[in-house]
Amino acid sequence: MSAQASPAGPITATGTHPRNYDGQVIAITVFSTIKWWGRAFLPALFQITRRVPRLTATLRQLSFIHFARWSVIGRLPYNGPPQREGRFRYPHMYFESNFNGGWEEYIDAFSHILTSGMTAFWGSSYGFPKPLPTAPFKAYIQANETEADHYYCAYPDATSTMIQRALELETKLAPLRRNGERMAPDEFAAAYRSFLTDVQHCL
Amino acid sequence: MPSPNVSGQAYAFMAMTPITPGEEQPLATYLRGLRERGARPLAKLPRTHIGRFVIVPDFHNDPAWKQPREEHLDLHYLIFTSNFDGDLDSYLDELCEKLAPEAKEIWGRCVGCPASAEGADLKRYLKHNQIDTGLFFAAYGDATVGQVERALRQRERMIDFAISAQGLEPEALQQAFLAQFGGGD
Repeated sequence: MSAQASPAGPITATGTHPRNYDGQVIAITVFSTIKWWGRAFLPALFQITRRVPRLTATLRQLSFIHFARWSVIGRLPYNGPPQREGRFRYPHMYFESNFNGGWEEYIDAFSHILTSGMTAFWGSSYGFPKPLPTAPFKAYIQANETEADHYYCAYPDATSTMIQRALELETKLAPLRRNGERMAPDEFAAAYRSFLTDVQHCL
Repeated sequence: MPSPNVSGQAYAFMAMTPITPGEEQPLATYLRGLRERGARPLAKLPRTHIGRFVIVPDFHNDPAWKQPREEHLDLHYLIFTSNFDGDLDSYLDELCEKLAPEAKEIWGRCVGCPASAEGADLKRYLKHNQIDTGLFFAAYGDATVGQVERALRQRERMIDFAISAQGLEPEALQQAFLAQFGGGD
């Protein structure tokens, strides 16, 4: 067990309870109650979204997300009394996201960039006020949000963008690492300059 | 069609377990106290990217939302989610072994958890309470924790190198680069 890491860079995580942070990373945990038609609609939507990668392309544009997930829960596994057995009256959607930046900015970005996607994902939830304007939507998310009791990230200093750029850099650095020794100095210097130009956005 | 719990090589696990009545507050105190004590138990599972424990006391009901009838949880529930590398079985094997002391304090306070709260019994319990993911998004799901950490370290080194190598002649530049990054993949 290691002690809490202290981030090297400035903390960008803001706007939520301290238990929802680990360094730069923020947890959001939301349950919403689904109308009858969401029971069939949401699983179909999830399946289509999984099958058509371009549907998650917009999510990738929100480069501050590390991991996100949605689940529809109609019943919980039974573990014996005093737990009550059986289906919920309504299905419930679980949503969690792990992102960096500010809570408010995250919801703003979701609402403005994923407007139709948000409506598709939450349109079957009771009380969903539409993504825009953002104030009622933020109030809705806050009402349904539960704070984490313990939150952990293996690399709390790193933002998602930083990680994606570091991975891209690694891929682009590989040929120079592999071939650098065999190059003449002038050839190497030219290749290095070209590499630096190519990876400027990763640094 | 791959499992909806999987994106690239990353797996999204979720277990939702009922908390034994009377244990809600002690469990919350324990989980919240981890950070105060500087404890990061999930760091003992090096395949874990990001994980969380959340106690859910109830569903939110708002009369303004025109939900025909209110719905409440029968008990408080503990949610554990983890975004980790590789397959579930071997991950849970690791968890049930390396997290045994913490597991007793955590799932040991949940309804139906085996008394030992470790090993194969705990694994069976967690799998029994698994909630499948409908949609899992992983921004870098092909990269393991180790690969992420290595890439981040290398990026830092590259930034330092790019600054320090400014103005070097080609031969010196090549030598400095190879000394730092040579040796291929």
